[in-house]
Amino acid sequence: MSESMIELQRITVRRGKRWLLEEINLAVSRNEFVGIIGPNGAGKTTLLNVIAGLERFEGTLRLFGHRETWSRSREARLRVGYVPQLFDIDRSFPILSLEAVMTGAIGRLGLFRSPGRREKEKATYLMQMMRVDHLADRPLGQLSGGERQKVSLARALLQQPEILLLDEPTVNLDIAVQKEVLNLIHEIHKQENLTILFVTHDFNMLPAGMRRAVLLNHGKTVFDGDINTALSGDVLSRLFQYPLETFERNGKRFISYG
Amino acid sequence: MARDLFLMVEHLIEVLSYLPIQRAAIACVLCGTSCSLLSVFVVLMKMPLIGVSMSHAAFAGAVLGMLLDFNPFLSGLILCLLVAGILGPLADRTDMAPENVLGLLFSFLMGLAFLGMGILTRTKAGALNLMWGSLLSLSGMDIVVLTLITSVLVLFVFLFFKEIRSVLFNRRLAGASGVPERLIYYALLFLTGGVVSSNLATVGGLLIFALLVQPGATALQLTYNLKHFFLISAGAGIGACVSGLILSYIFDLPSGASVVLMATTIFAIAYIFSPKRHPLKFRKRNLSHENDSR
Repeated sequence: MSESMIELQRITVRRGKRWLLEEINLAVSRNEFVGIIGPNGAGKTTLLNVIAGLERFEGTLRLFGHRETWSRSREARLRVGYVPQLFDIDRSFPILSLEAVMTGAIGRLGLFRSPGRREKEKATYLMQMMRVDHLADRPLGQLSGGERQKVSLARALLQQPEILLLDEPTVNLDIAVQKEVLNLIHEIHKQENLTILFVTHDFNMLPAGMRRAVLLNHGKTVFDGDINTALSGDVLSRLFQYPLETFERNGKRFISYG
Repeated sequence: MARDLFLMVEHLIEVLSYLPIQRAAIACVLCGTSCSLLSVFVVLMKMPLIGVSMSHAAFAGAVLGMLLDFNPFLSGLILCLLVAGILGPLADRTDMAPENVLGLLFSFLMGLAFLGMGILTRTKAGALNLMWGSLLSLSGMDIVVLTLITSVLVLFVFLFFKEIRSVLFNRRLAGASGVPERLIYYALLFLTGGVVSSNLATVGGLLIFALLVQPGATALQLTYNLKHFFLISAGAGIGACVSGLILSYIFDLPSGASVVLMATTIFAIAYIFSPKRHPLKFRKRNLSHENDSR
């Protein structure tokens, strides 16, 4: 059996009387590419936040075989990269794109050590990989949403994580840019040998290479298995409580919203 | 005209030989430095209420100190640090936005201060001095405390610059990637408490709010480089304090008000000539600069 990178046992998150996650069980192996899919308010982002160490929880979480609490060690945090949903940043905010990518190296460097030439070269390489190297000297706040998400991906990769958590990285981007970002994520999975958890609510915008889907609704797992089985009209109609149909084109399955 | 100017400069130099004026000048530089460095955080983390909350905490603490026959500066400092100690965990634990927590604390502390003022039977002048400040009546101890707190703040910015950049950019992302964001954030809150309470005697609790916002807001008009941002902010803060003091001496004006009005003037100039508001000119100049350096 392959090594378990992420293991969740009966993970529960409550906010007041509301249950955001209810007894979630999940095991993810090395190099797996898993889609966490569900409607708005299903608990997808909360699940990612639990794994990223940004949310308090009840239950047992193991990362790389070690039991972790909410306030985990720096070492454990370094091994998990996190790309959030597109967030607002002031146009005037004093940070250039390359500097934003370089912030990914700060945790690994530790206190009292400054990023040097090595980190800068690696950051530039990653910006090239994400095709945003020409924007290195541009203020981050002046970049388009797609460009900022690519910078965000480069930033997470500079951290040299073993697990990459992607929280709806294509939301609020136009279709062409969404496709471009998804292709980059597929490339990252192939090249960097990472374990990836990809949160989305859009079945028509899934990156290639994703083999497994975990469907969440109202904080509970309603399906965990092969992505093609998940992409069936019956399963999805139940999940979204809306009649959905699927069809195939060029070997890919798509959802029709009727 | 030139002769008048020369005489005025000569007079100002002569005045600088008096101890209270020397102390006021040193306090201006220290106050300008400490407040303007903090204003970078206040502006970029969008927490303008922190200044008024802390100054009211210091004011309430000083009034309580006077009621209990305790050193007002120390009791002000203690309450400021207490507020700093409550604010971070309260905002983190309750999922409330820090601005809302600050708003609640601010109104509570204002109520506490006015309650203390109401109960205080003897003269309230000592407490009121902390609201308006008085640059010309500073003691040697005031200067020592200001020097100490300013040095700690400068050292903090210098030593943790890269962590500060990461936290200012995105606190949650910084935390997720192994940066000790809570250490930086909480340290900043405590430093704010220290800076505000130690500056009550200089510009006062009411006017310090302006110095915690305007230098940072000035720098925001002028640069995209965080290092330059700190330097411009410090320059604007020191410039406002020193020029305010000189103007208040020449025209016999209240020093705190002159300092704040100078800070506003500097901001207005930066805003009018901001290269960020004229991006085309800014880009052209940058491009020609890049070509020159090739």
